[in-house]
Amino acid sequence: MANLLALFAPPNVINELLQRLSLSPETINYVVWPFIQIGAVVTAIALWALYATYMERKISAFMQARLGPMRVGPWGLLQPIADAIKLLTKEDLRPDKADPYIFFFAPFISVAAAFIVFAVMPFGPDWGVITDINIGLLFVLSVSSVGVLALILAGWSSNSKYALLGGLRSSAQMISYEVSMGLALIGALMFARTLSLSGIVQAQGLDSIWYIFYQPLGLVIFLVSGIAENNRAPFDLPEAESELVAGFHTEYSGMRWSLFFMAEYAAMIVVSAMATTLYLGGWYFPFLWRIDHAGYHSLFVLLSLVVFIAKMVVLLYIYFWLRWTFPRYRYDQLMDLGWKWMLPAALLNIALTAFAVFTVQALDGWHGLKTIESLTRGVNLTWQGKVIMVAFGIAGLFIAAAMLSAINWRSRDFNLKKQRRQVRLVSPPQGQPAVAPAPSES
Amino acid sequence: MSDILTFIVFILLAGLAIGSALAMVAQRNPLYSAISLIGVFGALAGLYLTLAAPFIAAVQIIVYAGAIMVLVVFVIMLLNVEEEVRRPVRLRYLVPTAVLLAAVLFAEAAFILFYVNDAPAPPSPLATAEPSTTGLTASIGTGLFTTYLLPFEITSILILMALVGAMTLARRTAARPQDLVVPGAQVLPLQMVEPARVGDDTPVRSDTTAEAARTLGLNEQEQTRE
Repeated sequence: MANLLALFAPPNVINELLQRLSLSPETINYVVWPFIQIGAVVTAIALWALYATYMERKISAFMQARLGPMRVGPWGLLQPIADAIKLLTKEDLRPDKADPYIFFFAPFISVAAAFIVFAVMPFGPDWGVITDINIGLLFVLSVSSVGVLALILAGWSSNSKYALLGGLRSSAQMISYEVSMGLALIGALMFARTLSLSGIVQAQGLDSIWYIFYQPLGLVIFLVSGIAENNRAPFDLPEAESELVAGFHTEYSGMRWSLFFMAEYAAMIVVSAMATTLYLGGWYFPFLWRIDHAGYHSLFVLLSLVVFIAKMVVLLYIYFWLRWTFPRYRYDQLMDLGWKWMLPAALLNIALTAFAVFTVQALDGWHGLKTIESLTRGVNLTWQGKVIMVAFGIAGLFIAAAMLSAINWRSRDFNLKKQRRQVRLVSPPQGQPAVAPAPSES
Repeated sequence: MSDILTFIVFILLAGLAIGSALAMVAQRNPLYSAISLIGVFGALAGLYLTLAAPFIAAVQIIVYAGAIMVLVVFVIMLLNVEEEVRRPVRLRYLVPTAVLLAAVLFAEAAFILFYVNDAPAPPSPLATAEPSTTGLTASIGTGLFTTYLLPFEITSILILMALVGAMTLARRTAARPQDLVVPGAQVLPLQMVEPARVGDDTPVRSDTTAEAARTLGLNEQEQTRE
């Protein structure tokens, strides 16, 4: 055991190995390390996309009292590999009337947009992150907003009506939900006071709290909008199989199709990783820093990676859970949820958070109450300040519920009973003469 | 070393921007033009990055490449714009005008190229001790909400007006039966009779088919079509 721990004692295991290969520190830091990290992340995500199908099939099977894949390997564990081989060897079809160039490039745009984002994801401290840029959050939002184009172009270039309808739907849906997704993040940013993703995690570590306690409403809005952005059930209208065959990727087959598939699962990780970073404290875990202080830096980073992945997996499970328990929304319901529920709630969240931060700052020093520890690196609060802030966060949920029901009290979109049209026949002789009341009456 | 690298990056990005812009104008297919325009925006964002303005670069991508171009592509797809056919130039006087305007543009560029050296040199960023914060998010935010608050708010009101205008134009009226009347007497919700009363369920009774049609404001021809 002592020998095992000694392995983690130097600040960086792989660095030591590389230095023995007589490489200069600059080469190691700026060339070798990034390539190792990029390779690890890309491999991990490709593997995830493979095994996510297995996970999804198993979870759906257990929810429906079935067994799921059981044939290939023990408990069907090799099923994804068999699927991958099948996809790789399939014929790559292209419709005759399809636009050759755009049809060829659309899957690559999709997969690139989904993968580039991982360059700034803070999977862990120190060497657990590929790069940390000071506009990290904006970078993620901007790259994923370009990813929509791939779906639209794929839908258009296929020259098929199902694909076109899927592409149109996905663009309308993603534009609608991007707005509330971006606005939901602002609440968390008010506490972190930085756009750097590593900086947001550190701000939560310094304040010793996860922002989910300050921002429960923000997390809910972010997750709903994120699932809608990913075109996952119950928001999977762009690929609704019961009406559009497969939506925007109807005409794709083989490897080209699996690129879209991989992009979708990578985008799921992006949303989960963003939610983890912003609301669940990222790689930060109570008392884990003691390992670092004891001198086992590499072990600390590895454990932090595990913590981050564990938090992410919980959120990914929510994706599967929702997919197999919720029916798909109708298109008008989807639009109403985006514009009439999520958007007002996100705006309310901004106003409430601003008010809460202002109140806590104003209360500092009132009757000897001390709420703020420091404001230099994010908002650091004392326990009194935290209690007030958490109370504001929980109150926000109720205020949002009240406001949304006030806005939508006449809405019938989710009220199936009211959607029934009242047309019933009465026997002609006994009826009263029709009197259409003038609009001024009643 | 870093100067040469910066120069190479600049040449690459500028070349991409100009090439994409030319492709955008030259393409016959509107969708290809739109994609070329996205290339221009991406190259411009890269140029902003080399000028140490990361926030503007990110916003350039989010707003232009992400939102506006998606809408442009959306409209192109929705209207199903066909490839433009080559047709005889009817407005011949446009050609000399275009040449003239291009000449003015080139003269402007040449003027800048030749006279920019005469202007007093800006303080070198390397000379000052601390790095400049001009393009960073924090400094832009501070400027936007203090010095330029009034223009910022006026712009947002302008956008709000456009939003309200669009909503007024697109407002849905009450659901009305298209061209069909259920034969016989029936009870209809008031919102079907009176479009202004959206969401009103007050029952309105009508005894005969003709009466129902009259109540709903349908004319004879529509009524008889089955």
